[in-house]
Amino acid sequence: MGEQQYEIDLGNLMAFDPHHHFPSLPSSRTQQRFLIAYLKLLVKQLFLEATYCMGKVYSNHSLKIFREELVKECLQKGTKLVQAVADALFNLPSSEDRDGPIVTLPPPTTRLPREKPLPKKTPPTKWELFAKKKGIVQRKKDKLVYDEQTGTWKRRHGYDRVNDDKDVPIIEAKLTDEPGEDPFAKRRAEKKQRVEKQEKHRLQNLKQAAKVGALPSHIQLAATALPITGTQAAPRKASKNELANVAGMAATSTASGGKFDKKLAGEKPPKHEGKYRKYLPVVEGSGMGSLEKQQTEKVLSKLISKNSHEMLNVEKAVNMYNVKKDKKRRNQQGKSSSSTFGKLKPQKKPYKKTSSKVSPYKGKSK
Amino acid sequence: MRPLDESETTQVFEKLFKFTGNNLKNIVDNPSHEGPEPDPGRYCFRMQKNRVYYVSESLVKRATNVKRDNLVSLGTQIGKFTKGGKFHLTIQCLNLLAANAKHKVWLKPTSEMSFLYGNHVLKGGLGRITENIVPQDGVVVFSMADVPLGFGIAAKSTQDCRKMDPNGIVVLHQADIGEYLRTEDDL
Repeated sequence: MGEQQYEIDLGNLMAFDPHHHFPSLPSSRTQQRFLIAYLKLLVKQLFLEATYCMGKVYSNHSLKIFREELVKECLQKGTKLVQAVADALFNLPSSEDRDGPIVTLPPPTTRLPREKPLPKKTPPTKWELFAKKKGIVQRKKDKLVYDEQTGTWKRRHGYDRVNDDKDVPIIEAKLTDEPGEDPFAKRRAEKKQRVEKQEKHRLQNLKQAAKVGALPSHIQLAATALPITGTQAAPRKASKNELANVAGMAATSTASGGKFDKKLAGEKPPKHEGKYRKYLPVVEGSGMGSLEKQQTEKVLSKLISKNSHEMLNVEKAVNMYNVKKDKKRRNQQGKSSSSTFGKLKPQKKPYKKTSSKVSPYKGKSK
Repeated sequence: MRPLDESETTQVFEKLFKFTGNNLKNIVDNPSHEGPEPDPGRYCFRMQKNRVYYVSESLVKRATNVKRDNLVSLGTQIGKFTKGGKFHLTIQCLNLLAANAKHKVWLKPTSEMSFLYGNHVLKGGLGRITENIVPQDGVVVFSMADVPLGFGIAAKSTQDCRKMDPNGIVVLHQADIGEYLRTEDDL
């Protein structure tokens, strides 16, 4: 193989061989589909991920062999390309770091195709349809608005806003007003209603979008009950029994244990009433089961390890030493009381080093 | 009858560990000789009405045929759980403890009777004592003929025992075989 120049894109860690041609499929059969074979070599962190997708379907023997050879060839070419990428990487100027040399990769030069499909357009909402029909154009609003009353520029939304409902000092009574009504409270209630209505519409719009499968992505991620666009996974629906059990549990999780709540028709009592403790089975298999064995093992090992420090016989060493010292002192006292003055002095024995069976690091388990 | 859960097992093992130390392993992993099956299993702990029993597996299997209300006792009782959730060892586990005891005390014949009446062991009654006893250790009390008499908690270490006056308490009484006669109804 001659030295071929590969196109190396270090920004994507990619290498491309423009001169390589894959052999075409042996065209022998009549009902052969159009073969699409393209090799996508994306070298990520110097691991080879060779994926190729072929659009053919027929399992012919010759096709099988062809495919195997294709795979082999792909791997061979791939190794060469990976080598080229590695060479290029190590040729970059590197800076030394604690963990090794660090290189900064140059910006990528090739534009890679999209990984995921384009997001779908949301269906137009009811307001959008209405606006289009009527020809209403959305205009951009300013953040600051001139307030006539105070003569200053106030913001449109937020703290100290322009037409705040709270700032109205006097509301003049109309002929249609009833005497007992509080107009301020009425205004607040109306505002609340408007907000609720808006929220309802917003949710309806989202539902419409979800039906088509075009939810905005941040809501898609938040709604874990819904499948991510593109996957085929169906949402797991809780069965009727499951829901009934959960409802029963929820009903008893009030302050008084659900005793004084009105029970709806068909509501099941909770499955485990009172303090629910799950015990190991009495007899598993024949006698002790594996669960119980595990439990006892765990407890035993914990206990033994906790007290393993007591196995060190430092105490014993100290005690033995003390006993020896006491004995020696007693002997010496005895000797001194009956010591003979004068010529015959008892030979003071040099300090005898007894073979100490004691070492502080010998762990003895009795 | 039910097996012990984890906290209960810890309590039981801790109490036993005080007396047996690492021989606890021998107790827990003991291969049993009971039962007609060719492959005898091990011993396990079961709880019936707040009493903990040390039973072999074959016995447990057969005991499941007895109704819970009618089951009085099975295997060897080793202790009771009190109403407050604490575990106390009872005298029936003496054989088990004596076989695996770490610290032993032998009594003089003159003070055997005193201990069997429920009194503590004084230094004057002490015949022999194993080394390395730490205060608060579990101690099994034997007679001079190596007959287990009961068990208790060491009040003093071996060293201090030597220096004590003869009327000092060496072992605090916990259980003795005289209880079989004295508190026959409670057992």
